Amino acid sequence: MLTRLARVRRAVGLERRPPASCAIRLVDAGSCNGCEHELVATGGPHHDLQRYGFAITASPRHADVLLVSGPVTTRMLPALLRAYAAMPEPRLVAALGDCPLGGGVDAHPDEVAGPLERVLPVDIRIPGCPPTPGQIAEGLRVGLAALPPERRPW
Amino acid sequence: MAGIERVGADAWRDRVARGNVAGLHAAIGPDGTPEVRAVLAGETPRLLAVAAPGGVVPTLVDLLPAGWDEREAADLYGLRFEGHDPHRALVHHPDDRDLWATPVVGSDVHTVPVGPVHAGVIESGHFLFHVVGERVLHVDARLFHKHRGLERHAEGRSPEDAGRVLSRVCAGCAVTNAVAYAAATEDALGRVPGEGTRRVRTLLIELERMWNHLNDVSQICAGVGLAPGTMLFATLKERVQRVCALLTGHRFMFDAVTLASAPGDPGDAAREAMRAELAAVAADAATAARGLLFDTSLRDRTSGPGRIDADAVRELGVVGPAARAAGVAADSRTDAPRLWYPGFAAVVPPTPAGDVAARLEARWVELEQAAGIVGELLSAPLRPDAPADTGTGTGHGVGIAESPRGRTVCTVEIRGGTVRRVHLRTGSYANWPAVAVAGTRAILPDFPLVNKSFELCYACVDR
Repeated sequence: MLTRLARVRRAVGLERRPPASCAIRLVDAGSCNGCEHELVATGGPHHDLQRYGFAITASPRHADVLLVSGPVTTRMLPALLRAYAAMPEPRLVAALGDCPLGGGVDAHPDEVAGPLERVLPVDIRIPGCPPTPGQIAEGLRVGLAALPPERRPW
Repeated sequence: MAGIERVGADAWRDRVARGNVAGLHAAIGPDGTPEVRAVLAGETPRLLAVAAPGGVVPTLVDLLPAGWDEREAADLYGLRFEGHDPHRALVHHPDDRDLWATPVVGSDVHTVPVGPVHAGVIESGHFLFHVVGERVLHVDARLFHKHRGLERHAEGRSPEDAGRVLSRVCAGCAVTNAVAYAAATEDALGRVPGEGTRRVRTLLIELERMWNHLNDVSQICAGVGLAPGTMLFATLKERVQRVCALLTGHRFMFDAVTLASAPGDPGDAAREAMRAELAAVAADAATAARGLLFDTSLRDRTSGPGRIDADAVRELGVVGPAARAAGVAADSRTDAPRLWYPGFAAVVPPTPAGDVAARLEARWVELEQAAGIVGELLSAPLRPDAPADTGTGTGHGVGIAESPRGRTVCTVEIRGGTVRRVHLRTGSYANWPAVAVAGTRAILPDFPLVNKSFELCYACVDR
């Protein structure tokens, strides 16, 4: 089984990068699960997000980036704000997919508190419905590199 | 066209008890009175309705697994189900725990609240575990954190516009939900899709099943910490999704099935390349599955926990692979006149013990079956019907399709070309109550594994 996986990695010819370090915590704020599937795939063998130094952490308490999917439903807003409050500073917020950016799903206005920038400061935007694994990796790398050096987590 | 029959409160319980009910939902009747509608499955699905004057209607929870349906209807339509006491909130999230959770008392009983934000990259939902030590006495699942009001937002629109709103209910069941909605709408308007469209829709549903089942096996391996299995099945899922993108332009096949259209033929060479790649994926999955079969740590962890046997399947209204894993050979594909399943027979896994291991095995046998259907449908050119106007009309329609998680039932009411009510009861919706029960048949640390063995969507429950 392991040799077969090694073959996948050789076959896609992933480029190795100098490591940085950036811990990401995802909060699903009402997504269709598409962004979650694609984020998991971004960490899988074909894309290997870890090679850029990104790690998905279990807790917002040691996350550099809060990655938010979904249109921010009213029922997820308190949990989203609690996750943000639990993060150490400096902290960044990234919008994953069209929904937190105000597009994507056409939800009932009574049930959503979004778009995301209405409730939290957004530093990085990764559009797509859902963004592909390649777009997620690229969006995180380019988005972080575009920040002023003092705001980058490395 | 699915007719609707309105019965009096006195006959309601008796008629429902004798029917094959595939879900309940509330709606507003023609004279403005709220009513409860039951979908009666069968050769021609029908609707049975009872008026709820003053918002009160007799409960059905003692007759059939309709607990969540009634709780949802109570929250969203303000109905009171006489005999369903106490009502516990489902869609609404009151602060007071007594208003939504079951009280569990006794010496050493304590609660473990988990979520809505979880440690992994998964959807949002809350579980309240009542435990003594590691033994789980009861689980209250509090979902609907992702409620986006999509049904209510779709209502009052044209069938096409309502379909666009519903197209983002759930990524994992995007095709199944779209097919069920299209079938319900076409049923309401008295249309029947041609063979070409039926074949294309069936192809896309089975492709969706392939990537979902590969994903689920990967997730079960993740649940026991078996990284090689997790990653290998993730690569196989990726390969299927790449074919989905080639065929429909989208990795999750969003917007591929609409009322007006379905993807056309990619050409002989491209279609043959897709067929060969999917056959190779199926062969690789079968080889990998044999490897996993002899992984003793995986067998140890998956054999036993979360058992839902055939009696529990019937009592809880379980559908899909979870029902078949308990030896109940029920599958809505055996009776699918609006799709293309000639000679289809439901399959149960070799050891249908109803535990995590059986649900894992169910995925393997269904993968092989789906790959066979996909291979056959890709062997001939795809010729969907020419796009047609939906037209205006009035009627009730029911559409049923088998999602990777089980029977999905969509009900549509159209009046004068406008969608008045649309309700989507997915396989996940039917099965969530069983996950809570299965959680009591495992120790607390095994709940994530039990949960992954069902791998239900939160998005298409919450809507």
